[in-house]
Amino acid sequence: MERNENMKKKIILTILIAIQMILLTGCWSSKEINELGIVTMLTIDIEDGEIIVTAEVIVPKPPMGSTESGKKESAKYVQGRGKSLFEAVRNTTLQFDRRLYLAHNQIFILSEEFAREGLAEYTDFILRDHELRETAQLLVAKGGKAYELMGISGGIEELSGAYIESLVKNIKFNSKAVSVTLTDYMRNYYDVEIQPVLGKIEKKEMTIEKIKGKKEKTTGLTIEGASVFNRGKLVGFLNGDRGYNFVRNKIQGGVIEFPTPQTSKARSTITSKILKGNGNTVVEITRSKTKNDIEVHDGKIILKTQVKITGMLGEETGNIDTSNAEVLKLLEKSCSNQVKRQIEKVIKKVQDEYSTDIFGYGKQYHRKDSKGWNKIRNNWDDIFAHAEVLIDVNTEIVRTGLVNKPSSKVKGK
Amino acid sequence: MRRIEKVSSYQITLLIIVYKLVVTFSYIPALDSPPGNQDVWIAVLLSILYVILLCVPILFLSNRFNNYTIIEYMELMFGKFFGKIVGLFYSGVFVIFSIAFVSILVEILDSIFFPEVPTIVTASMMIASCAYIAYKGLEPIARGAEIFVPFILSVILIFPILGFKNMDFSVFLPILKDSSFVQINKGAMYFALRFSDILILAMIVPNLEKRNELNKIFLKSLFYSTLFVVVIVVASQAALGIEQAKHSNFPFFSFARLINIFDFIQRIESIFVIAWITSNIGKLSGYLYFSAKSFSQVMNKEDNKKFIVPMTLIIMFASIFFKNRRSVVGTRQPIQNILLITTLIAVLVVPLIALVIYLLRRKHFQNANNK
Repeated sequence: MERNENMKKKIILTILIAIQMILLTGCWSSKEINELGIVTMLTIDIEDGEIIVTAEVIVPKPPMGSTESGKKESAKYVQGRGKSLFEAVRNTTLQFDRRLYLAHNQIFILSEEFAREGLAEYTDFILRDHELRETAQLLVAKGGKAYELMGISGGIEELSGAYIESLVKNIKFNSKAVSVTLTDYMRNYYDVEIQPVLGKIEKKEMTIEKIKGKKEKTTGLTIEGASVFNRGKLVGFLNGDRGYNFVRNKIQGGVIEFPTPQTSKARSTITSKILKGNGNTVVEITRSKTKNDIEVHDGKIILKTQVKITGMLGEETGNIDTSNAEVLKLLEKSCSNQVKRQIEKVIKKVQDEYSTDIFGYGKQYHRKDSKGWNKIRNNWDDIFAHAEVLIDVNTEIVRTGLVNKPSSKVKGK
Repeated sequence: MRRIEKVSSYQITLLIIVYKLVVTFSYIPALDSPPGNQDVWIAVLLSILYVILLCVPILFLSNRFNNYTIIEYMELMFGKFFGKIVGLFYSGVFVIFSIAFVSILVEILDSIFFPEVPTIVTASMMIASCAYIAYKGLEPIARGAEIFVPFILSVILIFPILGFKNMDFSVFLPILKDSSFVQINKGAMYFALRFSDILILAMIVPNLEKRNELNKIFLKSLFYSTLFVVVIVVASQAALGIEQAKHSNFPFFSFARLINIFDFIQRIESIFVIAWITSNIGKLSGYLYFSAKSFSQVMNKEDNKKFIVPMTLIIMFASIFFKNRRSVVGTRQPIQNILLITTLIAVLVVPLIALVIYLLRRKHFQNANNK
């Protein structure tokens, strides 16, 4: 009797396992790689009220070393049009044999025209669709169409998407551009206290002199600068002065170049009797910390920014004695002045030309005086545009590298 | 005589913690409740007080009649006829909550992972697993909690650490400047009303190894679960921003998608999904078990296993029916209001009436706890 029971249980278990096998094969919602068009970059343009989506789709290549490798192009470019972003993406299937698979797309490039029309409504699809990633970078193509950037790679990477992704990763070496993901953009978009910025991208022609005086033109891309937004609409661009990144405490690295100070104090420390003229000093940033604040005096608003830079001497082309502590202090002061100028310049540009608080001084106001903020929040951009700015930069050069005097100097002379 | 399944206080504390966390783990309704700004976490912390106040009647009665489940002592309080009606009401509450949980679970699975899979397939696969666990009884559910809950809690703690660089804690400033006292309290009350899991505790009391630890279990689970909710709320708001977190249907999941450490640890939301599905299956199994048990007690049947299959079918078809008609998470009303009102009646109103009856007829119930 018990044996029969056991047998019965075993049979039921076997049937259940067999059913599970059918269910667990993953037939539904499966995505076969040979049916997908894996997108690495997506550009969005607008023409006559119609959205144009252009995608860079990876072309699967045979492995290196095989006879066919190297013959094929790396990517195909596919375009779709529609009244909405989603429709435009889906319309690509009318002419392209694979469905665009967007899960690996890390770069969105918007044309300037599109960004000026308003971007916020179109981000809905990007946020709503589960396939797209919120970590994708958003950049605005300055001038011209965004799809014109497709296929351009000035680097080792063959795919434009991978190339631009690497450029964005390189920001930590220069801090002259901004890295803004979809989440970063949306976070600031909803906020009244700060307006969003996006990355900026444009073509850059480079002329390289080859052997026998032959010149060759190559086209690359540059992401230097940033695109300034007022809520969902593009209002202008910033150049790559790093001022924005300093105020926003987003400096990851980079170098600060400034003319070598030529004060009498500096001269007196120079052991060489021959002055070779003005040189340049370069300080490599190892750490940067920014503190923003706001002060209100008799109804006058002062925007305050304090920057503390720690760096190392990266290059010295001036004829000064960098092993002298007093000279280093002068260099620190010059470096601070240079950064101060850059910050003041960018704030002034934004105040005068765009009247939009992309630096987040509004947040400081809100924190300091919540009740007062509620009264002025709707006019904040206007108030920001007319506010006084007070910048304080303090630089500390903590290392001088592997040498103690510039290479142009001869010690003891 | 049937053997009473015994569970330890530790196991039940873990179970209640994860039951309370499931909703927040899925879609964080607290973000949308008042004050709906950077002070939500304060309202969540304050909700501890409101939960305690809300649960006083049920806790008092469960302590007083610790040999009985809520279904059984309600019958003592309200008499045979009305007691059966109240019992049926509580069984219905468990079923309603189970339907809601299956619907939410299936909605998230359908929207994110299996958009092409028919609802009936995802729902039946999930609910079949839960039915099997429920069929095995309370002890396996409690033992399972000892294994799975630490994993789920670790995910909730580790993910914010991994995603630390995505967080901007300045979003929480200024503190308590933009919310009124009324808003914070309203939010705390609203959040407290989601603690329907006290009903599970009220069903479990006779199975506890140490019944006198009921209050301790309640307070511990409430305190820890609320702390974990605060972690989830803070991580989601700091990473997504206050407004974007409110826009998101699944904010903690969206936060998990942002995690990227040195391009090495990334796209780890699958681990989140494992923890999330496990927590949902655990909760659903518990609710399924207790809906079957409450029905069996209303029907005066010893064996609750007979009720599991019919309950499973009812829950499955009802959830598929609702799910295919509207989005449960995306379109939160009227479902959320139904759940809140149901919780209010089940956790506060009915036990309060029962408490009044008990206090009025205290002498009558003096020896009632001796089964």
